[in-house]
Amino acid sequence: MTSQSSLVPLPINHEVAGGSGSSSDMADGGGWRPPRPCEAYRAEWELCCSAGHFLRHYYVHGERPACGQWRRDLASCREWEERRSAEAQRSLCESERARVRAAQKHGLVWTPRQSPPADWHLPLPQDKDS
Amino acid sequence: MTSLCNCCFQTFLKSIFSHTAWDISREVDQRLHLTSWWTSPPTREEAAARSAGGMAGAPDERGPGPAAREQLQQQHVGCRVFPERPAQGTPQQGFLSGFFTSNQKCQLMLLKTLETNPYVKLLLDAMKYSGCAVNKERHFSCEDCNGNVSGGFDASVSQIVLCQNNIRNQAHMSRVVTHELVHAFDHCRAHVDWFTNVRHLACSEVRAANLSGDCSLVNEIFRLHFGLKQHHQTCVRDRAILSILAVRNISKEVAQKAVDEVFESCFNDHEPFGRIPHNKTYARHAHRDFQNRDRYYANI
Repeated sequence: MTSQSSLVPLPINHEVAGGSGSSSDMADGGGWRPPRPCEAYRAEWELCCSAGHFLRHYYVHGERPACGQWRRDLASCREWEERRSAEAQRSLCESERARVRAAQKHGLVWTPRQSPPADWHLPLPQDKDS
Repeated sequence: MTSLCNCCFQTFLKSIFSHTAWDISREVDQRLHLTSWWTSPPTREEAAARSAGGMAGAPDERGPGPAAREQLQQQHVGCRVFPERPAQGTPQQGFLSGFFTSNQKCQLMLLKTLETNPYVKLLLDAMKYSGCAVNKERHFSCEDCNGNVSGGFDASVSQIVLCQNNIRNQAHMSRVVTHELVHAFDHCRAHVDWFTNVRHLACSEVRAANLSGDCSLVNEIFRLHFGLKQHHQTCVRDRAILSILAVRNISKEVAQKAVDEVFESCFNDHEPFGRIPHNKTYARHAHRDFQNRDRYYANI
């Protein structure tokens, strides 16, 4: 069984669904929609701007968080919802791809599996003997 | 509240002793390849008792070579940390505490964690998606443990051990389950060489300490570890090293080197959360993103 982990991001050159990327193809949507609902962008932006997040981000990274991109993504999402703007679509795609690239830039210590461990679902040794 | 105050008091007592006692009292169980999660350093009395009993399984003399040495250590069936393994059978019934035995309390707290905790629910979903659906009876075991260990992941049988005599309350149970499920998730998605590759073990321990909430600001304050700027990373490093030393008969320097080598990669590996879940709000956001992943990847 092939383990399709959704947790391994798709390649960055994965084509955007619905077209090759020309603005005319995307202007009418072509089935495309924002990667996240606009409510999710708003929730992320509000969380990022909170005092609690500032404190936690400083505690982890030693610097203040940058929340501007979430605000821009929220604006792009709303613009897409209202006017189906191609520029908004392009902006959102680029922003999310940058997030995926940032998450992928560190190499893995171990080799990913192609299937789960063989004994994961097997009964425990003492259960087999009884 | 009472249990929280009791937890704080115990943590306060245990944290005032130096880490010298910690070094003396390392617990090793190489045969079962367990990863072990320390809640706090042992008391001075516990450390003295263990050092008086000798460092079984960690002799200074060396065998013919590393492989033979590992074999000798494998044969050491002291299982001082997890005495009920591998002879699991029926977990021992502890003393009645109120209306429930410690085993029953462990089971009840585990059930509540599995059903309600957002960290755990995301991990369970992610593991199911990866082909490792978790079964409570098969993949969890509540047992009595020695020392200050709260739990472990037994990679040889793919089972999480919960130390029913050391897990104090629901919040503690949730953190332990989250921590061990990170190990289980790593075991499911990658070829992790728990036994012979210290770097692999170090990576999983870094991830577990980073993503389980163990190194939150509040928890560190309760341990009297005060620090703010980037202190989270210091905590993750320290606790990863301690966890490695608890299950591997290696020097602190070797453990530290392994953590240093893998830290940048593994600290920034936030799967399956996609972020460091500082609290349940972040965990719920992460779960929402995980459930939305098909839409996400189809539209970028």
